[in-house]
Amino acid sequence: MRINQSASRKENLSRASALALAAAIMLVPANLLPVLYTQNAGKIRTDTIFSGIVGLCQEGWWVLGVIVFIASILIPLLKLLGLAWLIIVAQRGPDGLARPLTRLYVVLSIIGRWSMLDVFLVTFLSGVVQFGILAKAEPRIGIVAFAAAVVLTVMATEAFDPRVLWGHPTGAKSPSSVT
Amino acid sequence: MKATDNSKITRAPSLPMVWVVPLLALAIGSWMILREYLNYGPEITIEFANAAGVAAGKTVLEYKGVTVGEVQNVELAKDLKVVEVRVRLNKNAAALAREGTQFWIVHPEIGLSGVSGLETLVTGAYLAIQPGLGPPASEFKGLEQAPPPLNKSLGRAFLLQSNKLGSITTGAPVEFREMKVGEVEASQLSDDSTQVLIRVRVYTPYVDLVRTNTQFWNAGGLSLKLGLLGAQINSPSIESLFEGGIAFATPDGDLAPPAMNDAQFILNNEAPRDASKWQPKIPVHTPESAPLSPVRSGQIPFVH
Repeated sequence: MRINQSASRKENLSRASALALAAAIMLVPANLLPVLYTQNAGKIRTDTIFSGIVGLCQEGWWVLGVIVFIASILIPLLKLLGLAWLIIVAQRGPDGLARPLTRLYVVLSIIGRWSMLDVFLVTFLSGVVQFGILAKAEPRIGIVAFAAAVVLTVMATEAFDPRVLWGHPTGAKSPSSVT
Repeated sequence: MKATDNSKITRAPSLPMVWVVPLLALAIGSWMILREYLNYGPEITIEFANAAGVAAGKTVLEYKGVTVGEVQNVELAKDLKVVEVRVRLNKNAAALAREGTQFWIVHPEIGLSGVSGLETLVTGAYLAIQPGLGPPASEFKGLEQAPPPLNKSLGRAFLLQSNKLGSITTGAPVEFREMKVGEVEASQLSDDSTQVLIRVRVYTPYVDLVRTNTQFWNAGGLSLKLGLLGAQINSPSIESLFEGGIAFATPDGDLAPPAMNDAQFILNNEAPRDASKWQPKIPVHTPESAPLSPVRSGQIPFVH
């Protein structure tokens, strides 16, 4: 019985950390590779997420630039860091931080869905801006990596069971009785 | 023994399976990045006297209508005389950068002999390339304007001496029986400034039409003759009326040998008196793709 409990606790943590690691890996191509190709009256641009933000600010779209920066760079990064912290703490076993950390977990799972803003922006532009030689927008490979990173982060958050923070032997009892 | 076996069975399959995901992510992620950077070919530098319309990150290099590179940087050379344009070639186009490769900037051009580069009105200028045959190289001198198409530059060039340029411009037609068989490539004053030298090029299939005794004359403009019996207006093709033009013919009699490349001729101001009656038989090799090429035996062109 005891072996089974620690096994399922380990399983839970290792699934969450595997998915979080995969998300972290995908963030590298997502930020290095171009996400959007635009052509507008002869001006051709191939933007990565960061160069897109810089471009928005240079054109005077400060608010938009800040929003994209928060949604596409800050949130995915903070989310992964927060998740990593949760996993490390849970690995060490329960301690006094259980309550604030559970709150952090709730925040993480809520803001996760908002980091898809970039993906929506790119797909929207590619769908709408198709005026042949005059103006054109096309997605680039980086946006696929970005979407994968966001989805993997969400999956990692889902896989992480906050009960392990409380030293609760997950899987020993039926989940419905706890949630 | 049995207990350890059991614990292995319950634990072993669950742990490593999940770790396939980050491994997969690592593989896909590095493939994405590699694919992007492997597509990078060599970087080349092209010197232009003037790089109007060329901008870093926007102007592309096109070959046969396909984008094969992108301008990375445009800057004035240290001596302030030329502009250095740095171009990143695509991997699959790396073989285009060879000694003898020619680069030029395509702008929209509207002339009597045609409109070209019209698409650049909207998309902006682009760099065009005509690959050479030499060993790989990375530094080039850009051309001021597009070179003549390759099949035309293979013809034969001749030098014509004239006492004045008349209305002849670069690109003006060289005509044989009022059919365009070549064009004017360049004109300049002779070293002692007593004459104008005009270099013309006759295209490949027609080079044999020029013999050592061929007569050239200025066929541009209008010639007006007013006489007692009425007026006579002579004009060659419309194109040569505006751009000027050169015509040539070979006298009857024994056929002289074909003129060599860079052979010199005198450019007459008007056609020799009976030039229109000269009819020496000179075989020419028209390309097989020509619309009026002779039908090969066995083919029936028309059904009667």
